[in-house]
Amino acid sequence: MSVAERVGAVRIVPTRGIPYPTGDPSLPPAEERAWRRDLLLRALKAVSTHVTGPTRF
Amino acid sequence: MSRVVHYLNQFFAGFGGENAASTPPGVKPGAIGPGKKLQELFGTDHEIVATVYCGDDLAAASPEAVATILDLVAQQRPDIVLAGPASTSGRYGVACARVAAGAARAGIAAVASMHPDNPGLDDAGAAVVIASGASVRDMGTSLERLARAARKRLAGESLTEADGRIGRIPRRNVLVDRNAAGRAVDLLLARLRGEDAPAEVPIPRFDHVTPAPPVADAGKATIALVTESGLVPVGNPGRLESARATRWLRYSIEGKATAAAGEYASVHGGYSTVWANQDPNRLLPLDVARELEREGAIGVLHGEYLVTTGNGTTVPNARRFGVEWAAELRRAGISAAILTAT
Amino acid sequence: MAGSALKLLSHRVTTVTLGPATRYDAGVLTVSATDARRALAHAAIAECRVSWASPGDSARIVKVLDTVEPRTKAPGGGGIFPGFLGSATSQGHGETHVLSGVAVIAAGYLPRAQEAVIDMSGPGAALTPFGSTHNLVVEFTPAEGAPWENVDAAVRLGVLKLSALIAEAALGAPPDDVVGLPAIPHTRASGLPRIGAITNLQTQGTFKDVFVRGKSFGAASPILIDPNELHDGAIVSGQFGHPALKNPTYMHQNHPVVAELRRRDGKDLEFAGLILAPEPVEVEQKERVAAQAAALCAAAGFQGVVITKEGGGNADADISLKIDALVDFGIGSVGLFAEMAGAEGTAPSLVVPPERGTALISTGNYDEVVRLPAVARALGGATVDVAGAAATAEMELPTAVLYCSLSPLGAGRLTCREAA
Repeated sequence: MSVAERVGAVRIVPTRGIPYPTGDPSLPPAEERAWRRDLLLRALKAVSTHVTGPTRF
Repeated sequence: MSRVVHYLNQFFAGFGGENAASTPPGVKPGAIGPGKKLQELFGTDHEIVATVYCGDDLAAASPEAVATILDLVAQQRPDIVLAGPASTSGRYGVACARVAAGAARAGIAAVASMHPDNPGLDDAGAAVVIASGASVRDMGTSLERLARAARKRLAGESLTEADGRIGRIPRRNVLVDRNAAGRAVDLLLARLRGEDAPAEVPIPRFDHVTPAPPVADAGKATIALVTESGLVPVGNPGRLESARATRWLRYSIEGKATAAAGEYASVHGGYSTVWANQDPNRLLPLDVARELEREGAIGVLHGEYLVTTGNGTTVPNARRFGVEWAAELRRAGISAAILTAT
Repeated sequence: MAGSALKLLSHRVTTVTLGPATRYDAGVLTVSATDARRALAHAAIAECRVSWASPGDSARIVKVLDTVEPRTKAPGGGGIFPGFLGSATSQGHGETHVLSGVAVIAAGYLPRAQEAVIDMSGPGAALTPFGSTHNLVVEFTPAEGAPWENVDAAVRLGVLKLSALIAEAALGAPPDDVVGLPAIPHTRASGLPRIGAITNLQTQGTFKDVFVRGKSFGAASPILIDPNELHDGAIVSGQFGHPALKNPTYMHQNHPVVAELRRRDGKDLEFAGLILAPEPVEVEQKERVAAQAAALCAAAGFQGVVITKEGGGNADADISLKIDALVDFGIGSVGLFAEMAGAEGTAPSLVVPPERGTALISTGNYDEVVRLPAVARALGGATVDVAGAAATAEMELPTAVLYCSLSPLGAGRLTCREAA
């Protein structure tokens, strides 16, 4: 169980690294931005989805 | 004979129900309402010299109201302050907890009474909280338990689960004889032998949060970006702390297409900020949020972002920030917030 | 026989001073400022100054970076601090000389270093191990235009050189204590429980990194290491966050859990070995390292493990995941945690507790406030910014700011108890 689940967060989008939650420095810049866009779309999906408890998107 | 001050809300102090929830803080001499039964239970041993009261809306939300309440309490020179019983009434429980916490901070013994499910339970600071029943029907037994706890507290005795004690018991640093390495090996060997040796840290319980209903259509909604990454304009003009933050800040992102390197930097002390400072969109995804706003996947991107530093933040502060952010964003018509966490 | 035998020769220091030549004579240690400057000579450092701060002095060291115990194996170092002074080979055998009662402390500004304070007297002194050592404080001025990473590396190397150099002064003196540390056999039939240790090292990149035999442990997998290597400086700290929760080089040289297991070896336990593990930033990597470390414990025949960390709440996960992973191998464990229970001690103690274990030792509450009195002099800087005060002033600080006060390696005697 992650920290997010333990503290009661109900809509959780896992990312790749603590120092760069909406980044991935291992990717070339264009790919990183595309990955970040997908991440945000997942977040939008999460806020638009009915949940009953901690849920990962 | 000890001097007791009793705290009640507007209803139990006789001012009315919800319609009187903004009753300003005040004081009446002696015991009133449920306090009368308390005084009966105390007999001639302890005297309720005054009852301080306040409307729940004020006491639960306004620090100034709590400060006034505490002044009124202090003026009575009490040996102990008793608050409630609040049962499951949320605002009343929060008020009782804050009054008791404030009294305790001022060095006055304080006991609050509420049901274990009351949301105010964790706001009582160093004050003692005793379990009450769930409703007014249990008032008699709740008062009996509160009176017993008050007597013990005044006698300098410690209160435990057996007394109905609930909530968090303050933990204090203490220097002991053995170093932690030695104690660790002792505990491990005892547990390996099958002994039920006590650990030194209690396993904490965490909150259950009722999920907010989903946004019907993100393409029509106003969405906010918020973060605990400590990302602030370069130079940290708002002096956000790098650890143990006591505040949160807000910065305009109107007209900005991206979180530009050189314009923003993170002051968070809990992780290496090198990658984030190279490209602050790695903490605040403004570039792609604008893109999605242009494309209609997001209706409107809120014109500000909210920020604090989540490094060694105390839980009470973190909880306060969350409540304030929620109030702030709701006031601004936001339907959903996206929090980037480090 | 696996592992290696090491002999530690300790030379106690009772009095310290500065003088024209570095000497050690019947407990009196003299350090030459010229020698110090030579040890720290580097393109990235414009100049440096050394001064002594001793137990009981009305003195405060601020902006504390790393602390090192003066040790050497021979003139020139003899292999001490492998990867920095010596070649990056495994040490931990032969003889090592220790100047005990002394610490060399670097103090000054580095970016992202969280402000750390050591008081040599008053209530703060009992809360840090370095309130009881004679501290040679090295203050430095970076060379103009030098990148901070270079300054950091230069100070680190200079302090290690200086530590070895000072210890050399005692090479000719008869030791006050000689301790033999035999190799740890890997097969024994004593019937005593086999207890090992896992030491988690903070590995979060520049200014928050830890080095093993001279190399960052950042991308490493867990390793089994001869505990005697720690005596020769196999672990060097470049980690400047979380002052109370820091394991400086000095603590790795004097690893409290290893010392305790050694002390009881053959009495109520068998000391089974030491594993080092990194603390990755990504959760997936944390889980992977935890699984690997647990498998290594099983392969080494540990029946119980003492697990320590470095850093704040993020590092709690690195202990908790290992406690949980070890359950699957039938191996019991205990974790050393500091609590973040708020100033009043009523907030939840841990960010990430274990799910399948409850054996937790508390090294104290991070948030409890301590009031420090005014002092006559301060070293390392003119201000304590977290207190908004002059460094010599009276101030209130959370225990979090006091250097090593919540020693994650278990050196301290602080714990948390419930108030009445």
